[in-house]
Amino acid sequence: MSTTLYWLQCGGCGGDSMSLLGSESPDLVELVELLNLDVLWHPSLSNGTPAEHRRLVEAILNGGQELDVLCVEGAVIRGPGGTGMYDLWDGRPKKNLTARLAARARFVVAVGTCASFGGIPGIGEGEATGLQFHRETPGGFLGREFRSRAQLPVVNLPGCPCHCSVLAGSLSALVRGRRLVLNQYNAPVEWYGLFVHQGCVRNEYHEYRVEEHEFGEKGCLFFHLGCRGPLAHGPCNKLLWNRRSSKTRVGVPCAGCTMPDFPHEYPFFVTPNIADIPLDLPEGVDRAHYLAYKGMAAAAAPERLRQRKTFV
Amino acid sequence: MAPPKKLNVPLNRVEGDLEIRVEIEDGMVTDAWCSGTMFRGFERILVGRGALDGLVITPRICGICGTCHLTAASRALDMIADVTPPPNATRVRNVALMSEHIQSDVRQTFLMFAPDLANPAYEGCDLYPEIRRRYEPFKGETVLEVIRETKKVPEVIAILGGQWPHSSYMVPGGVVSLPTNGDITSCQFIIERYRRWYEKRILGCSLDRWRRIRTAADLDAWLEERDEHRQSDLGLLIRFSRTVGLTKIGRGHANFVSYGALDTPDERQPAKPGSDGFFIPAGFVRGGVPHPFDQQRIAEHVAHSWFEDYDGGRHPAAGETTPYATGDEGRKYSWAKAPRFDGLPAETGPLAEKIVEGDPLFTDLLEQAGPNAFLRQLARAVRPVSLIPQIITWLSEIDVNEPFYATPGEIAAGEGYGLTQAARGALGHWVRIVDGRIAHYQIITPTAWHASPRDSAGIRGPIEEALIGTPVRDADNPIELGHVIRSFDPCLVCTVHTVGRGQLFGRSTLDV
Repeated sequence: MSTTLYWLQCGGCGGDSMSLLGSESPDLVELVELLNLDVLWHPSLSNGTPAEHRRLVEAILNGGQELDVLCVEGAVIRGPGGTGMYDLWDGRPKKNLTARLAARARFVVAVGTCASFGGIPGIGEGEATGLQFHRETPGGFLGREFRSRAQLPVVNLPGCPCHCSVLAGSLSALVRGRRLVLNQYNAPVEWYGLFVHQGCVRNEYHEYRVEEHEFGEKGCLFFHLGCRGPLAHGPCNKLLWNRRSSKTRVGVPCAGCTMPDFPHEYPFFVTPNIADIPLDLPEGVDRAHYLAYKGMAAAAAPERLRQRKTFV
Repeated sequence: MAPPKKLNVPLNRVEGDLEIRVEIEDGMVTDAWCSGTMFRGFERILVGRGALDGLVITPRICGICGTCHLTAASRALDMIADVTPPPNATRVRNVALMSEHIQSDVRQTFLMFAPDLANPAYEGCDLYPEIRRRYEPFKGETVLEVIRETKKVPEVIAILGGQWPHSSYMVPGGVVSLPTNGDITSCQFIIERYRRWYEKRILGCSLDRWRRIRTAADLDAWLEERDEHRQSDLGLLIRFSRTVGLTKIGRGHANFVSYGALDTPDERQPAKPGSDGFFIPAGFVRGGVPHPFDQQRIAEHVAHSWFEDYDGGRHPAAGETTPYATGDEGRKYSWAKAPRFDGLPAETGPLAEKIVEGDPLFTDLLEQAGPNAFLRQLARAVRPVSLIPQIITWLSEIDVNEPFYATPGEIAAGEGYGLTQAARGALGHWVRIVDGRIAHYQIITPTAWHASPRDSAGIRGPIEEALIGTPVRDADNPIELGHVIRSFDPCLVCTVHTVGRGQLFGRSTLDV
């Protein structure tokens, strides 16, 4: 028995679809085959006519077509003035379609930070929000009480974009009945119970507080260049991107794009500091201890790190 | 004569949402209106944020072409900081941008454009079974190969810039990364491997053989020369396009604009004549006559757009994105603005690049048949022919012992712009920084050029104009409109300030 999937694109950029297109072992087509997915519709890949698409949506909404998985990419746009007219499907607010499809689906998956928490559109004037969170606050578009037909909240897979292996793994768990343990933001802990900097090749520089003030060097980016790697939840440096690398590995400060507060208010590429120590410290860390530890770590830093001799 | 019939066509397989409204009389399009249907408000989100925030925010405008937004954003900041990136940085930026192009060109052609050819409307054609075998979504032989091969190219961007899509490795003064020789070698292997696949599967011949095609007659001779040429995906695309008449639809204004892209990093790469140091030259061509490009001559009109009115057009440095949402009234019908060059609408993208460059094959094909849906698609499908060897050249020129970054100093105030060519065409960011914060950010995307509404003079946008005269055989399956629109490779998520209004479309459309 196949599992039906409908992919709804709301206020997003298509980046999560592009990330998915980059899947390897299985690639996208193999994933569909292995999970026996029946992709009813994907806006970038399907070939039906507008009339066929309308009939499909009608069938899902009136119960004639079973819907197992609803994947939503992009924020739900409610503006202006709550009308939803800033994002339309077939002349009608797409937010209404989103709510009706979500009510029909066994599982609802928010693919990416926009669908999960609102993301970049969430701070704009389009009254955009995530499916079941608005930034850190539960509720969002569908409300905190929402449960899909399988009695689950929206499964959030944040990231800008969502990593393709996280999506593949989550779909597999849902289809094959493996339990997904979710964190406080309803994101699976097996990927979002890591911090982005776990696995970063700059970790030894981080350890000894060899911190950069400028781009284009080998040291750590946490203290001055706005890197959120030690603060943000995500598997970037475990799974790697495009099978090759990660932003922090090549020297791009983590922007914290998996987090509900993305994009944060203060400027990127700058770390808000107190006494040269970041204002935001890793979860559960005591400031006084951290200050002492980092002072000793800097004193213990070997010359090869100070001289940036160790490659990253 | 039957009364005019109005069709409202929401289009899938474009990034973002595009709705086209057309008026059809006696089976032919007599008028057209084009609108995106989504508003996310990126430009206004940027105002008030940190000077460098465009490097994080703007690539996320578009999941397909984030590298070109990052390129434009960093070039604008280079100008404001008055810093010249070292040659290594220019090479890395160029390689990343071109890598994005060569996978996008193949994906757009065979995942977005070609599936329309597998439409039941063409069941009667001799080539239809073969088209269906190759281009059916999720199943077609070519579709599967394109998915598997194109995804390897962004690995180059990940090696040099961390990830694709959505990274921020280009910064004012260069790039942040310090690739090793091993990294460069990995990139070379990826591109060389892609080249072999592209030659075998897409072209059916070597890049060198394709480059020898310099006239329309050469193209016919190439098709006759070998069965591999006829059977390649490009050969099949050419043959089928001719059979079903794609060479005869989608003419448009025949104005072409390119901002120029890919700076030649130093004197070792002599600039092409008239190119101002770009590998892809800048220029404007009208009526076959080339004109120099000057960004000062760009203006955006709002006479038919839902923004507060002003006379004529405004340069993007003085432009505003102030919604004027008063409902259905008068002539305004779209939330997209209308960009114009010297007051004229223009198409951009791979065909425009070839025409501005004076490429002999495309100049000849244009003279013979005028712009058309097939010609735009052909230019896109073969752009990797010129880009792939240049990627390999620039990769080999990277000297890992030389700098990749020049410190720009604090960026406190100033005004600048960053122009480049995205996969879909001309892209510009116009930026003003005051007190270390973004005070002004205006973006004109290639899709804004293409999907533009009418301007102050009432002149249609390029897609609207190109649709005029298109035959529509079946109103329930208006596939001909799809060919014309997709030949522009529209990417509606990029139409950053587009807002759609439902009641407009609900008023006078025939639901199909």
